[in-house]
Amino acid sequence: MNKLLYYIALSFLFSCQSPTAKKEPSAAADSVDTARAQTTIRYAHGFTIDYHDGFKVVRILDRNNNKFDTLEYLLVQKGHPAPPGYPRAQVIPIPVQTMIAMSSTHVGMADFVGVADRIMGLGNLRYVNSPVVQENIRKGRIKEVGLDENINNELVISMHPGLLLAMSNPEANGARYKVLTDAGTPVIVVAEWLENTPLGKAEWVKLMAALTNREALVNRKFDSVAKTYDSLVQLARQAKTHPHVIIGTPFKGSWFMPAGDSYMAHFIEDAGGGYHWADSKGTGSLSLNFESVAPEALTAEYWLNIGLINSKQDLLAKDPRFASFRSFKMGNLYNFDKRSNDLGSNDYWESGVVNPHIVLADMISILHPGLLSGDTLVYYRQLQ
Amino acid sequence: MNKKHMTWRWIALCTLLMLIFFLDIAIGPVRIPLKSVLRIILSLPGEDSTVHYIIGQIRIPKACTAVIAGCGLSVSGLQMQTLFRNPLAEPSVLGVTAGASLGVAAIMLGGGSIVTLYTIRELGISGSWLITLAGCIGAAGIMLLVILISRKVRDNMMMLIIGVMVSTATLAIISVWQYFSDAELIKDYLLWTFGSLGGVTGTQLYILGAVTLAGLILSFLSSKMLDALLLGENYARSMGVTIHRARVIIICSTSLLAGSITAFCGPIGFVGIAVPQMARSIFSTSSHRILIPACCLLGTGLILLCDLIGQWPGNQTALPINIITALVGAPMVVWIILGKNNLSIYG
Repeated sequence: MNKLLYYIALSFLFSCQSPTAKKEPSAAADSVDTARAQTTIRYAHGFTIDYHDGFKVVRILDRNNNKFDTLEYLLVQKGHPAPPGYPRAQVIPIPVQTMIAMSSTHVGMADFVGVADRIMGLGNLRYVNSPVVQENIRKGRIKEVGLDENINNELVISMHPGLLLAMSNPEANGARYKVLTDAGTPVIVVAEWLENTPLGKAEWVKLMAALTNREALVNRKFDSVAKTYDSLVQLARQAKTHPHVIIGTPFKGSWFMPAGDSYMAHFIEDAGGGYHWADSKGTGSLSLNFESVAPEALTAEYWLNIGLINSKQDLLAKDPRFASFRSFKMGNLYNFDKRSNDLGSNDYWESGVVNPHIVLADMISILHPGLLSGDTLVYYRQLQ
Repeated sequence: MNKKHMTWRWIALCTLLMLIFFLDIAIGPVRIPLKSVLRIILSLPGEDSTVHYIIGQIRIPKACTAVIAGCGLSVSGLQMQTLFRNPLAEPSVLGVTAGASLGVAAIMLGGGSIVTLYTIRELGISGSWLITLAGCIGAAGIMLLVILISRKVRDNMMMLIIGVMVSTATLAIISVWQYFSDAELIKDYLLWTFGSLGGVTGTQLYILGAVTLAGLILSFLSSKMLDALLLGENYARSMGVTIHRARVIIICSTSLLAGSITAFCGPIGFVGIAVPQMARSIFSTSSHRILIPACCLLGTGLILLCDLIGQWPGNQTALPINIITALVGAPMVVWIILGKNNLSIYG
């Protein structure tokens, strides 16, 4: 059973990765999907999709600070008129044929949906792992347009993209992209990074599916991801031990530790790890001082997501006091940078986001050696 | 002020300082019984290893860094105020702090892309050493520039303006760098600019201590020159002080003090400007033989007190030292000055 799960997870990763796996004729598949498939959101809290005849309504919610702010988008099928009654909504003609992505997560989602070849522009060309996109960059088909404040509006407008995927906070309310939207370039805010559960974050691929009329395919793939994830959670629950985990490194006395309701804390819980701050409130991170972390750091068995560090020696160079940590003495130091390339781009942030089951399998292999057979890590790497 | 009065003030100040130093080690976010603290300080066996670690590896190095930073920053502030005869001068006016920041920014913001970083790594220097070394090189570079300029300048007031200009230009270079950097790197750099006492440990502490001691000795040796400078450059000349040489010595010792402390702890503001005022008010003198040790004691006390507030029991959050020094120090200075009503560098 365990072995099976592992193979499912692995085969899934490669089906998402390899360019050969997604040779689907795009336009035809899109229109077939349009007619029937719809998708429902089960894990994500940040967006909703409603289906109507000839158009979809997407709402991006901002649940921060107890405010419910909404950005509204009308995804109108090509050939259909824009429906009346949505004065605040931005119109995006679908299926989207060309797009500009701001974040590596967007690339990961496009790859998952099988539309990575539609990316014509990126915020930064350095942060890409997808073979399809890398190939297109090599061929000069993808332009660098700049990130956030530095976005080159004139270049973006001249490229006439079908959509620009932005990564700002929904609260920022699109004012930053007003020049673009005024010029007729649709911009959608993809706020997957505000989700605090691994499956919630991954489920944002369904937004990508809605934009490209690929709901049927994505429903199938995502359900399989969720199913594998859930069975891995069940497996981790059977583990006899729950070794404690610390995350990150302190810098100049401040140690940013994921809060109890954060993405990382959920991952640790699902992987059957013990987390000292599991009961703390908040979905972001806690800013702690070194001393208050020290009692836990000295005894915790595992130290994950250490940061931009290559080896144990690097870690000691940062602060020799780390040598006293139990995790350090045991050699249980892991970083999620196994799939990062020379330019500093890390696939964890790209395909890792849409493959939470593989990340979880990694974490379970680390925390419970032997529970999953074939303990080869995909995203994680042990520091030597 | 009579001598007896003066002696009492010294004794009171020293006692208070020792008390704060002890409290800084005894009190922290993790509750440790006073008995255990005493046992560890006296190196008696039998205490839990976690408690040992917290006292020996976290609190004592931090308190020692506070002492070093307190002495160095306040004395360099005092020297600047005297050299420029301006009660608002502080260590950063010469651009040394900005120079250290430039060095650190070069590593932290430029690090990801610069090939040279790998070359430096090959030399076996990495982590916090790299940042510190870069800070020292940056501070030294700006210091050399300022000394070169100072040879051409006759008036100390002009020197002040040039120092501020060098500082502003250096900070502008950092801003350009920040503008083109990734958010994550900027965040790290920003954290560095908040200042911190907790990052200096082991060998670094000894090096920082040695450099600061050298700067303090240099400063103490030049106390007579500083006294003469207070009365004006012409008067100082008539007393046999070579203005150029005095200036170079003072700039050197200030750069050593402020540059090294900034490189190790980040730019800690406010202490350099506030403590000399407090020292003058409390001891009612302008003699540097008294003001220099007074600044050391008061500066140490102020930083230790701020650190103590920052790590109050039950407070798990790390509050940067810069915020506390300003919040605690500003009202304190106003209170002392209002009590004495003498904002003057002439005592």
